[in-house]
Order: sequence, then structure tokens, then C-alpha cells
Amino acid sequence: MESTLQIQEQLLEFVCRNYMVERDDVIPDESLVDQGIIDSFGLVEISGYIQKEFGIVVVDSEMNRANFGSIVKISNFVEKKRNS
Amino acid sequence: MCGIAGIFSKEGGVAAEWKVQIQKMIAPLTHRGPDGWGIYCTDTITLGHARLSIIDLSGGAQPFITEDYVLSFNGEIYNYIELKDECIKKGAVFRTHSDTEVLLKTIEIFGVDGIKKFNGQYAFLLWNKKDKKLVTGRDRFGERPLYILELNNTVYFASEMKAFDTIPGFCREYDASNLLEHGLLWNTLQDQTVWKNIRSVEPGTFELFDYNQRTHKIVRYYSLGETLFSQKQPETFSDAQERLKLLLSESVRIRLRSDVPVGVYISGGIDSSVIAAITASIQHERFKTFSVTFSDQQYDESTYQNEMVALLSSQHASLSIDYDRVRDNYFEAVYHTERPLFRTAPVPLFLLSDLVRESTIKVVLTGEASDEILFGYDSFKELKLIKFWQKQPASVLRPLLIRKLYPHLGHYAESNQYGLMKTYYEDFLGMCDNEFASAAIRIANNGIIAHSLNKESGVSLNRERLLDRMRKMLPENYSHFSDLQKNQFTEMRTLLSGYLLSSQGDRMTMSHGVEGRYPFLDHTLIEEVFAWPDNYKLRGFEQKYALRKAYTGMIPDSIIQRPKLPYQAPDVKSFVRSEGVCTQAGEFLSERMIKEYGVFDSRFIERFMKKFSQGIKEQYGYRDNMLFAFILSAQMALYWAKNPKTVRLKDELKVVDISE
Repeated sequence: MESTLQIQEQLLEFVCRNYMVERDDVIPDESLVDQGIIDSFGLVEISGYIQKEFGIVVVDSEMNRANFGSIVKISNFVEKKRNS
Repeated sequence: MCGIAGIFSKEGGVAAEWKVQIQKMIAPLTHRGPDGWGIYCTDTITLGHARLSIIDLSGGAQPFITEDYVLSFNGEIYNYIELKDECIKKGAVFRTHSDTEVLLKTIEIFGVDGIKKFNGQYAFLLWNKKDKKLVTGRDRFGERPLYILELNNTVYFASEMKAFDTIPGFCREYDASNLLEHGLLWNTLQDQTVWKNIRSVEPGTFELFDYNQRTHKIVRYYSLGETLFSQKQPETFSDAQERLKLLLSESVRIRLRSDVPVGVYISGGIDSSVIAAITASIQHERFKTFSVTFSDQQYDESTYQNEMVALLSSQHASLSIDYDRVRDNYFEAVYHTERPLFRTAPVPLFLLSDLVRESTIKVVLTGEASDEILFGYDSFKELKLIKFWQKQPASVLRPLLIRKLYPHLGHYAESNQYGLMKTYYEDFLGMCDNEFASAAIRIANNGIIAHSLNKESGVSLNRERLLDRMRKMLPENYSHFSDLQKNQFTEMRTLLSGYLLSSQGDRMTMSHGVEGRYPFLDHTLIEEVFAWPDNYKLRGFEQKYALRKAYTGMIPDSIIQRPKLPYQAPDVKSFVRSEGVCTQAGEFLSERMIKEYGVFDSRFIERFMKKFSQGIKEQYGYRDNMLFAFILSAQMALYWAKNPKTVRLKDELKVVDISE
């Protein structure tokens, strides 16, 4: 099972590929919306990606800023879900 | 409607050289005015004009020359009959029946402030021969274009920037910073354009060039909401509806003034339906209507169009649009827009104006600007929701309204995505705490454009810089505007003038010599409605509330009650098939052309193109559509700047040739 850092790497790779940005363009602990990298549909795509890639199910109450506010937060959330 | 051009220098010039140059500049504008052309040449100023004859077909040749003045004018002064009477009372004598002469005499009699008397759409160059002063004026909302290029102590003016491509030694190049600003806001702010050294006469301003004094001055003569405090409020909502009907009918009435027949565009939405219904109530003869239909049902509104046509018994013609027609005509549409687009939606209108012209109609009424003045855009709903939520950020119930924002977008309507949409909008609770709340969302949605540009250009998304530039355009009474009125101001300065009236309006109709007229853009109507309480316009989330109520019973209920569907055409779908991106778009987006033009980051584009190498994913969003349309059109617009078309004037159409 991947560590948080590995999850973060995978997520970064997905974001760079899907939103065409360079690694250096992405600040991992800032909102991807604020950085101009994703829009509302991007959140839906990322949610779909982590569910498929990491085999987790995200329920409505978990779709919030604490879990989706940045790459770091999403990675932590994925790890927490996998350990639960 | 016409194309105008001019050359002026405080140092003076060589009339014979300017005479050659002005003809070169007018030639690529003749699609705007195919009925005749004329020039006026001196060594101080030279003016040119390509004419589309609409009022006083025989007497309106231009440049229009009197003893003291020379005028090159593009547009219409709708209240020219009333103004003519006013001028006659002041002793003016007229030799034609044209609004051109009325424009000239009004300024001659009342001074340049006489421009405030005009109700119309216009851009003009007026030369005072005696005082050697040039006035360049533009209408209040930017319906008609006028650009300025200063080069080697000479000032060039033109309705379209392609006229500048004929100047020896000049080639249009993007200004990277302005290109990004355009990408974020769908328009460049103030007088800037996406091109280096080319600026625009701002809507609602005129400029004075004084040859003797060697001075240049810019004067703003109109700003939205300037009569906010002096407007009389309707006593009841019912009174407001009556006023709206009265003002709109008057606006349509004067916009039907023409010596050629006027047609009406019908989209299937409430705005154009109302305009068509009013037209029918004023003009008792059968008139022509036009519409666009789509083979893709997602965009098609023909059911509603047909209902309206049946009600009007109009002589109707429609144009069917499929993916191939969008794909095959995007390049040519971009030739006319001269700036990057964000959607392919202008293309059907480009093709429609061809159909209109073929059916011998030169003038059409359309429903633009109702969404701005009556809060019809979803941005008004977004802003209302965020402001409501900001007051109680912990509220569970308030953000539930997000579900009602974009019912036509699946991820908003689906309850299992609600949390994500809430997360998205939560980001704006902080960002929207300034005077440009709604712009924050648009900037965020388009922010990816900053990442797409060539890193070597050195530009990046800088919200504070952008907001500072926006602050400079605000009127003194802006702090008294409500949040929704502020949003209207921003929408009208950016999306309306930069995109809807230009790329989707003026350029698409004029590409085939058709003049669009916009009854919702009557400034007397706009100023009065602007001052009304917000909830007359946006009641809860019900958009254009006063309009819906006022015209219930006059147009079909199905149109009154239907949810707003933004006018769109298929974007990515038009260019991408199962085998990948189509040939022409693929060439413009190829590594070779991306690197050759140097506007975009080649690695970004490579990754973006990979998304479409095997067709289109089942799900894709606004951003992919917008990016594709933007990048492709930016490349195409630059192609046209580097490879201007050669257009020649027809000698037999020359109507004025004066040298002094």
C-alpha cells in the first residue's frame, strides 16, 4: 500500500497530466482552484480519480475543504480512508 | 453600418502618400460596407469610408463634407429625426435626409458635448477643417469598434485592426500581458487590446486631437449608473413592468427606422422573442425572421423558435448547423474577430449573417444585453448565493442553493456531487469580499490560461494587479452600487463589450455587411432599469423577473417559463473525432506551429492534445471546451496577423474622392 508521499506523487502526476501544468507550477498545500489549475468540474474529476485509483468510496459528507482543499489534504484524506 | 479609417499627424504628412495608404486601409473593411467607398485627403488628415447604405440611400455618401467639417461615420443615430428638429430650431440647414448630417450638425451646434444627445450605436472621426481639430467618438456600450495605432508620429484609426496590417513595416504582435488579461476576463481592460501598440477608443468616451495645439485629450461622456440618484423609482412592481414595456417599445420603434427592411433574429429565448413580438406590434407588414438550429440536440432551440414564428407569422429562414460547419468556418470567423475566442458560438452567427444578406436583408434586431441589464446571467445568481452564504458561513442550508445554480450542468444537479460543489464555492467566500466579487469566479475558472502561455513571456496570474487595473475603470458613485449592480457594471465592461458585442456581435454580422441593432442597449432604458431594486430583476433565483412578468401573455408561456439556456455551439466536439483532432486544428496546435508562434507553452499543449488523441472522453467540462477554443483561435488570429488577406477596392464603387 502506498504511503502518503506516494499518494501525493500519484496525485501530482494526475494533476499535471490532466491539467497540463508542470510540477513546479503546483503548490501542494494550496487550493488547486485558487491556483487556477482546476474549476468545479476538476473537483469532480479528482474525486472520480481517487475513488478509482485507490479503491475508496467518497461519501457526500466527506466532500469538503478539509479533505479536498489541496493536494496535501486530498492525499491525507485518501490515506485515512484506506486505513479506516 | 460601415467601415471607417483615418490617418492624422501632428507633424503633418504627404497627402499623396496618405491617399494611397487610406485606400489600402479601407479595402479590408469593405465587408462592413460593400455598397460604396470614399476618401478625403489632405496633408494634415486623411479619412476613408466603406459604406453600407441604410438611411438616405442616395444622400449619405461619405466622407461627408461641409464647408467646415469632414465626417467619417460608422453606425446609426436612431433619434436623428428628433435631433434634426432641434438643430433646425437653432438655425441649421440640412441638405440630406441622413443621420450622418445630423451627427455633424449636432456637434457643430452644441459642441462636442452634443454627443450626449445621441441615442445610437456609432464610431466616428470628425475633422474640423477651420480649427484643425479631430474628434473620435464611440457609443456608450461599445457596439461599434474604433481602434488606434500610433506609429512614427502618425496616428492611424480603423474600425477593424486588419486595416493596420496594410501599413508598411507594421505587423501585429500579441502583448502577452494583455493576452492573459483577455483570457481571464474575456476582454482587455480600459483602452487596451491583445495586440501591442493598438488601443481602442473606449466605449462612452471621445478623444480630441488638436493639430495647432499639439494636444490630445480623452473625455468620458458616459458611465453606467451615472443617473442612479436622479432616476425616479417606480412606485410598485406593476409600475416597473409598465415602464419596461414602454421603454422597450420605444427603443424598438426608433431602431426600426431604416430605408431598407429590418429583420429579427429569433433564438428561442425570451429576449429575442420579446423584441420580435414588439416589432410585430409596431410594424404591421410581414417581416423576416432568422434563426440557427443545431443537429446536436444539446444546443438546439428550434421547438421554441417555431412557436414564436407561428405566433408572428413571419417569413422565416433558419440555418442548420452541425459539427462540420463549425469546424470548417472557425478559421474564417477568427479572421473577423481579430482576437482569441472562448467558444465557437460566433461561427453560427457568422454563417447566419451570410444567409440574411442573401435574403436581401441588411438590418436585424437582436436580443443582446437583456442578460446584463435584467440580471439574466448565472453570475448574478452565483454572486447572490455567495453573498447570502457569507453572512452565515457555517450555515448548512444556505449552500444547498448551489444545486439550483446550473441545472443544465450535470455535476451541479447531481446530489452526489453536492459536497464538491460546496467545496468549490467555499473558496470564493473569502475571495469575493471585494468590489469585484463576480470577477473572482471568472478569473478562477479561466486561470488555467495563465499556465498555458509560454513561460518565456514572463506573465503569470496576478489577481492583485488585475484588480488594481479594474479599480481604475470604476466611476465615482460605484460604492453606492449594490453587489448585483456592480456585477452588471463588470459584465458590461468585460463580457458584453469585449465578447458579445464584438466577437459575437459586430464582427459576425458585419462580416457579411449586415447591421445588428440591440434594443436592450438603449441607454435611457438601461439607466432607468439600473436604478430599480435588485429583486425586480432577480427574484430569488428567478432571472429577468420583470421581463418575464411584463411579457406574460404576449409571447408563449413555454418561452416565458423555460429555464435559461446559454446560447452555445459545439466546441471541442466540432474539432475532435474518434481518430483524433481534425487536420486544420491539428496543424495549428502542432508542436511545430506552437513553437514557431511562441505564444503557448509547448509541453502544456502537448499534454492537452494527448487528451484528444483517441477522441473525446465521455465526460469533459467547461475548461476543456474553453481552452480548446481559446488556444486554437489565438493561433489562428496570429496567423491572420502574419498573413493578411489582400483585398482590392472596386473603382466603380468609389463615391467620394476629394483632395484639399
